[in-house]
Amino acid sequence: MELLQKRVNQAHASGDYQPVIDLIPYAGVLGVQCERFGEEMIFRLPRNLDNIGNPTIPAIHGGVIASFMELTAAFQLTLQLEHPALPKIIDFSVDYMRAGLERDTFAMCTVERQGRRVANCSIIAWQERKSQPIASARGHFLLDSFSSLT
Amino acid sequence: MSEKILGKCRRFLGSLAHMRKLQMQVIKADEKSVTVVLPVQDQLLSPELDTYMHGGVLTTLVDTATSLSTIPALKEYELCPTLDLRIDHMSAPVTSQPMYAHAECYRVTRNVLFTRATVYQENPSKPVAYAISTFMRPGAGNTDLAFKALVDGVEGTI
Repeated sequence: MELLQKRVNQAHASGDYQPVIDLIPYAGVLGVQCERFGEEMIFRLPRNLDNIGNPTIPAIHGGVIASFMELTAAFQLTLQLEHPALPKIIDFSVDYMRAGLERDTFAMCTVERQGRRVANCSIIAWQERKSQPIASARGHFLLDSFSSLT
Repeated sequence: MSEKILGKCRRFLGSLAHMRKLQMQVIKADEKSVTVVLPVQDQLLSPELDTYMHGGVLTTLVDTATSLSTIPALKEYELCPTLDLRIDHMSAPVTSQPMYAHAECYRVTRNVLFTRATVYQENPSKPVAYAISTFMRPGAGNTDLAFKALVDGVEGTI
């Protein structure tokens, strides 16, 4: 995990978070990007025809939206941990509120509580405006890199 | 009957760009359940990590499998949007083996479909994740006719 620590430190220094995101192959497949605004990180899923799951509207695949939100939480935690490590997901739950149209989607994660071993996250995803989210999610992540789920 | 269901599931999956990109395939479909596979593939491999866990691709697999399980549950095809999805992760899957999702729609009401799924790799009796997902029925006549015809496999549309 030295590589991760190095990339996270570099990203905080340069403001370019892409090298951290590139560590996760599926984030690259989806096209996830990240930008920092002061202390807040906003993740972007750019419009991509490969992410369509409902060709009739057309709308983004529900699984893609959920995965994007899950990745948002994982990256947010990684970037704010004192000793960066990729957190392990324990559970994840998404509520879909509106169809995700064929345009850019944004997501933000709030870490509601970060304990010694578990972090509790809530994530919202939106397109036009944050006050009209397309989905909201919550999830728990295991932080202790020495413990195992198995 | 199973052949007909399998055909519907395959045409639905084949119509989705993201599923083609991930090479997801329906390997089994009958009146009760559907099994989908995510093959091992270079684009999901990381030289540093041997897990899909942080990749979120398991979530996409589950959403697809539960969504497909609504097809055998309904007499007439309806394109059902997802209301919610919850996944509990039992253990970290490895990237060196394909990942399977077995899903069933266990309750159909006038407006809502309830589904559940298990995700496994080598050993089906040792799932890496369990999931439940709820879908909303759009109601008869509210599914795009051309898309319904494509899934149903009406002659001349595919």
